[in-house]
Amino acid sequence: MSELTLLVLRFGFLILLWFFVLGVVYALRADLFGRGNRKPASASGASAAASPAPAPTPTRPPAAPSSPTAPTAAVNRTRGGFATAANARRLVITQGPREGQEIPLGSGPITIGRSADSSLVFRDDYTSTHHARLLKWNEEWMIQDLGSTNGTFLDGKRIGSPTQVPLHTPIKVGQTVFELRG
Amino acid sequence: MTTPKIVADTSVIKTMRKLRIPQTERNRELSLLVLAFIVNIVMVLLVQLGATGAIDTTLVSLTATLAALVLGLHVCLRYVAPKADPLLLPIVSVLNGIGVAMIYRLDIAEGYTGWDAFSTRQIVWSAIAIIAAITVILVVRNHRVLFRYTYVFGFSAFVLLLLPLIPGLGRRVNGAQVWIGIGDVLTFQPGEVAKIALAIFFAGYLVRTRDSLSLVGRRFLGIQFPRLRDLGPIVVVWALSMGVIVFQRDLGTALLYFGMFTVMIYVATGRLSWVLIGLGLFGGGAAIASQSLTYVNGRFNNWLDAFSQEVYDAQGGSFQLLQGIFGLAHGGLVGTGLGQGRPAITPLAESDYIIASLGEELGLAGLFAILALYLVFVGRGIRVGFMDGDDFGKLLSLGLAFTVALQVFIMVGGVTRVIPLTGLTTPFLAAGGSSLVANWIIVALLLRVSDSAKPARNTEVSA
Repeated sequence: MSELTLLVLRFGFLILLWFFVLGVVYALRADLFGRGNRKPASASGASAAASPAPAPTPTRPPAAPSSPTAPTAAVNRTRGGFATAANARRLVITQGPREGQEIPLGSGPITIGRSADSSLVFRDDYTSTHHARLLKWNEEWMIQDLGSTNGTFLDGKRIGSPTQVPLHTPIKVGQTVFELRG
Repeated sequence: MTTPKIVADTSVIKTMRKLRIPQTERNRELSLLVLAFIVNIVMVLLVQLGATGAIDTTLVSLTATLAALVLGLHVCLRYVAPKADPLLLPIVSVLNGIGVAMIYRLDIAEGYTGWDAFSTRQIVWSAIAIIAAITVILVVRNHRVLFRYTYVFGFSAFVLLLLPLIPGLGRRVNGAQVWIGIGDVLTFQPGEVAKIALAIFFAGYLVRTRDSLSLVGRRFLGIQFPRLRDLGPIVVVWALSMGVIVFQRDLGTALLYFGMFTVMIYVATGRLSWVLIGLGLFGGGAAIASQSLTYVNGRFNNWLDAFSQEVYDAQGGSFQLLQGIFGLAHGGLVGTGLGQGRPAITPLAESDYIIASLGEELGLAGLFAILALYLVFVGRGIRVGFMDGDDFGKLLSLGLAFTVALQVFIMVGGVTRVIPLTGLTTPFLAAGGSSLVANWIIVALLLRVSDSAKPARNTEVSA
């Protein structure tokens, strides 16, 4: 084997090695510049932002309850602002680790808590195992605190008894804030 | 009676899906793999031409066997993980092949043949490692399953770390008691596999607790420090690492575990204070260890005062380190050419000093190509963490990719005298079966996570 052949082979191998590196980098370019015009899945976010401005929050919630099981539930007030089976279709998480997620509202109640059997699981130190419950009562959505340690806040106020939920009003459970939207 | 019908339906759907979507990722992988095999076989041929001047087909066919196994892994990916990252496998195949060829070159210089040769054992271990990776890809169909066994993995990592200390089972090699052996035939380094179990445990643990680690605490100097009782986990891992240093005399592994945990806790919480606490604890531990433990002290001396005649001549002195550096200097910019240098005069040239051997024969140009491959590999691993998958998968892939990065830094930095040399393995390159198996399993896990990480947001309710 002559010196010259070895010299050529030596440089040839380095070129081959770098050719492989460049091949890898060439394959990488798809990630750098994107593969065509792929629109991010922001459709749901856009529609959420485009939804109408927050409904007016109720001036003074509870009046005379129509049933002893729901002591402070508001009944005698304008029904437009409150979430009913007809106008509330989804639950949108606006703050917290799962911000941006949407959960369609069904007919049944939604339990909120840290335990795995809750229908909405928040795993943080401030959420109790069975924290709160969203339930439909007379076709209207109510939030009920299930004796949680750190409380459930509707529009900044801690609730003591099942309370009717207006649309677009923040409900805070642990570190998560969500609201009901149409 | 409806079950068979449903099965038939899903299989039809699967077939339809397969028909409709061309596997662009896998096709890209295949073309790069072909290039990778060419690089590997050409390197073996050049080693033979340079060192002996003749071509021997035995090793070429063995390299081709490894290539066939990698192709087998590729075919498995087509079926069970079609959207997995296409770059990981070719990069790893090339690195593994370069390692085998270099070890073969050193065997020629030392005159080892057959089962005495490191290269033969390295090829067998590579085959075992690739089969292990195929098994992981086929068995772990969804990496979230691992999340359920978080504490099982934590416990098994602990047991694996303790195994070498059991009398009769443990083996002490070059001062470090990190091997286990059954008879004299099979030796294994359980710490390498423990590394993966620890990464799974850290990821699962941090996903569960990161809120209390990141949100509570008080601010000091503009940085939020955690509560004293939340410091528990980092102190436990620190104590574990220190235990490894003291009882197993293995500095590199301790550094690896602790570095991995610090980075994962930083990524999970986004709090700089954890990095500062980690660096502080590590600095303190290193300072104490370097003063009180003689072997650590010796490493520091070799590093700081390498070129003094006294340290060079001392038993366990800087002789080996300087041989490696002289080799790198001899290689220069483009190297001496494969089979043309004298890398074999460095002790442990096939394992700890494989980077110096490669640097001598391939030169700076070749070494930088290898480092570029590592860079892309780690970058791809971290990119999986940026995709919109689940939190556990993100943390796991990031932790695993960082492990590889940290090992490369510790070894290349140690050989080039940037940091004190500690005994770790250079991933995929260095001779060593346990490390190969562990690193190929890491590749399999990264492929699995990258397959299930979706670009779109998932909006499911966890029930």
